[in-house]
Amino acid sequence: MIERGRISRIQYFSTGDGDGIRTTVFMQGCNLRCAWCHNPETQPLDTAILNYSEDKRVLSGEDITADELFKRIIKDEVFYIESGGGVTFSGGEPLLQADFLSGVAKMCKGRGINVLFDTAGCVPYQCFERVAPYTDTFYFDVKAVTKEDCEKYRCGDPKLVLDNLKRLCLKSNVVVRVPIIPGHNNSKEKIEQIAGNVADAHPSRVDLLPFHRLGAGKYRAMNKEYDYLYTEPLKKSDLEQYVCIFEDLGLKCRIEK
Amino acid sequence: MNKLNMLITEMNSIDFTNRDDITAYLAYMGYREHYAESSLIARAYATANLFKDHKPFIYNYDRILGSINGRYAPCGAYSQATLQHAANVCASYGYMGFYQNIDHFTPDYPTLLQYGIGGMLNRIDASEAAHKGDSDAAQKLDFLQGARVCMQAFSEMVKNYACAARKKGEETQNAELLMAADIADKLAFSKPDTFREALQLVWFAHISFLYEGRYAMALGRMDQYLYPYYKNDVENGVITSEEAVDLVACTLYKIAEKKLMNAPTMWGGDVVNIAIGGLKRDGSDATNELSYVILEAVKRCNIPGPNLSARMHKSTPDEFYDACLKVIGTGLGYPALMNDEATVPALADCGYDIEDCRDYSMVGCIEAFISGKQPPWADGRYNTPKYLEFALNDGRCMRDGVLYGLKTGKAEDITSMQQLLDVFVAQMEFGALETVTIFNNENDRYNRKRYCQPYLSCYCQDCINRAKDINDGGAVYPSVYGLGCMGIATVADSLAAIEKTVFIDKKLTLAQLRDILIADFEGNEELRQELLSLPKYGNNDDFVDKYAVWLLDKQYEIFSKLRTRDGGRVYIAMASNVQNISAGSVCAATPDGRRNGAPMSDAASPMHGMDRNGVTSVVLSVSKPDYTKVACGSVVNQKFTPSAFSSDEKIAKLRALIKVYFARGAQEMQINSVGRKTLIDAQEHPERYSDLVVRVSGFSAYYTYLTRDIQNDILMRTEND
Repeated sequence: MIERGRISRIQYFSTGDGDGIRTTVFMQGCNLRCAWCHNPETQPLDTAILNYSEDKRVLSGEDITADELFKRIIKDEVFYIESGGGVTFSGGEPLLQADFLSGVAKMCKGRGINVLFDTAGCVPYQCFERVAPYTDTFYFDVKAVTKEDCEKYRCGDPKLVLDNLKRLCLKSNVVVRVPIIPGHNNSKEKIEQIAGNVADAHPSRVDLLPFHRLGAGKYRAMNKEYDYLYTEPLKKSDLEQYVCIFEDLGLKCRIEK
Repeated sequence: MNKLNMLITEMNSIDFTNRDDITAYLAYMGYREHYAESSLIARAYATANLFKDHKPFIYNYDRILGSINGRYAPCGAYSQATLQHAANVCASYGYMGFYQNIDHFTPDYPTLLQYGIGGMLNRIDASEAAHKGDSDAAQKLDFLQGARVCMQAFSEMVKNYACAARKKGEETQNAELLMAADIADKLAFSKPDTFREALQLVWFAHISFLYEGRYAMALGRMDQYLYPYYKNDVENGVITSEEAVDLVACTLYKIAEKKLMNAPTMWGGDVVNIAIGGLKRDGSDATNELSYVILEAVKRCNIPGPNLSARMHKSTPDEFYDACLKVIGTGLGYPALMNDEATVPALADCGYDIEDCRDYSMVGCIEAFISGKQPPWADGRYNTPKYLEFALNDGRCMRDGVLYGLKTGKAEDITSMQQLLDVFVAQMEFGALETVTIFNNENDRYNRKRYCQPYLSCYCQDCINRAKDINDGGAVYPSVYGLGCMGIATVADSLAAIEKTVFIDKKLTLAQLRDILIADFEGNEELRQELLSLPKYGNNDDFVDKYAVWLLDKQYEIFSKLRTRDGGRVYIAMASNVQNISAGSVCAATPDGRRNGAPMSDAASPMHGMDRNGVTSVVLSVSKPDYTKVACGSVVNQKFTPSAFSSDEKIAKLRALIKVYFARGAQEMQINSVGRKTLIDAQEHPERYSDLVVRVSGFSAYYTYLTRDIQNDILMRTEND
């Protein structure tokens, strides 16, 4: 077990990352550079600095021991019990630190805390195997399924992602999350493509996530270009047309907000 | 049949400007007939005249009659000289104020409903017969005569409304008004039998108090005392829940009258507290269908006046939590959520019968009150951080050097944390005694035999039976005084900062710190930043939270030893209203890093912007002190964006949060679901909103740190919700 990991930050009373009241641990470091990413500060493997203003600088990237992270997670145990919540490991790509997190997840599981991993899935399958025994649910992003799209938008190797998805769905409870991005997959054709590939894996549910540009301030604070600064956010109603595409393939589907 | 909207339109279309307040004139016309009699009797006739001589005002869309419009007349109807003379006569009889226990009261409406006005008059007669032979019969019979005069006038007032409604109903072929007239005619003497009748009688009584000039008169546990009528009507097909919602809404919307008729100032309206839910007298769950009816009615009114308090306890149904949260999510800011598990034991500690404790209601903002059994409420503020200032400066104010506190010794001679705490306690004790003495002195100026309130006394047990005034031994329980102990977070943060920097790290001496505070950190900004970065209340850190626990315990110890003039308890409140700002303006810099004159922490909440780890840590911190020692009540403000209320799933998460908070013994939470207006204000004044957290989809962020276009983004989304 690896003793130290690197986190970006911890979000308490996180209500959008799974069931109940959760603590979301955003891990530092990602192997993808998705063009629309709303957590750009979590991408570097080392650290990132967000310069919001002269007196507001936030460092992303803190080394932490498994024991210390566990301590911070169980602070809110009473809320997990009351609400049916737990801990969500997100990022960044949490599975880049699968060795470290498997230790933390094991401690959580031993304590009866619900564990959820929110992953983009572009990692060797062994990473999943490391954490799966201690994980209740995987949120598994599928952003694109063709090589061209994945290259264009810097979101990984589709073959690896879809293979992992299929294997994981055989053993674990998996919810597929599809961010709907204008100019990329905001069309029936693209969604049908994605749905066809996802259906083969038989996940327990598909969540559609409307594009937003709420991470723009972070790009500014990192002095980085953001391709989506002027792209209009999508509304929940814009996505309704896609739900039946998944349902027709026998998948449960809902729109997240 | 939703008549509320029509009533709202009508009320808001009337021009209430260019009018004179004629209440003094109405009272004067009562006084002038009775100059020769005792002031108690003269006062009673003045009150009686307010009731029966005001012109009843009927709205076309009235469902429940009773308006304060009769307090006003068009300018010029009475000459200014006449009004001035009337005011002079009234003034000569004297006025009692908030300190003398006149309002902020929950009347004993259950008894009024049980007996009706006629029955109340019979009770007065019976008491007169019983007390005729007493050694102090003269005062008692005077009191009962005063009560009779007022109650008879109240009956006439009800008849006058019946008359006016019938006249208008006939003129306009308005069946609703004719029905209201029939009901009023019945209520002028008989007890109510239906929900509508019961609601009408309560509203008439409430209006009568407004004619007397009382403020913050609570409606109490409406869902309890009206429930038997409601249940009976529903079972007999007389009323539906929708019909009940509309009736209650048409009643409560009239609270807005005061605002419509007064200058539009912050205090221009009224604060009419209504308690729903909670425990029954026998300890079982009191939540019923009417609790939901009132909740819905208040939501439809969409005005600040009905100050709704939802009482929660271990067996409160989840549905009730969720219904309350949905109303909070509309941006109204209420109901405030109250924890019976803290407040009931806190009241029981004062010696009240446990059943009466369970029957508590709120008056004004959050003040716990034994409904209809104690004199009206009085309270003041207690500027806790100021006593820490005295402790550090040998009893002297750091701003002007004046000796307001005790001479407890110089900071140079305080060599341990314990010694500092002891000195601080001595300063607080001295200040508490001074504060309560001033309050009691204020009251001693009033001769309780002359300054009587026979009418109000009819709404307080056991005044009629004892033939004694509410403030002169008539009430079941003595008067109480509540002290809003301000700045619990400022003090806890300051004590923790002293412990760390002076006594653990020994970075500087207590005397050096004192001098730095006197100089308002001038030339020591680096130290101030360091102090600001130390552990703060609201982050679930025992190093600082232990001082909040300690402070509350000490304040309970100090104040529970003190008594009001008639032997009642002095309650503490962990509340500040908005006075944390003025309290801060008279305090020098504090060791937590707060600058000279800056606001204190708000109520029982953490210091603004110092709750750095989210709401769960706030809940874990703030629930540490023992609120079963806080009989008055406390206030913890929390803000959530409307999106936190956007689905049943999210509501359930908020419910879980609050259930944990209450299970751990906290007392109150009020939640702001931040609306568009605030978000725009936050853009213009970001410095005031540094602790506003918004959920921004996949992540959360401080609102003020988001770029303008994203803020606009959220604004847009809010509108769509």
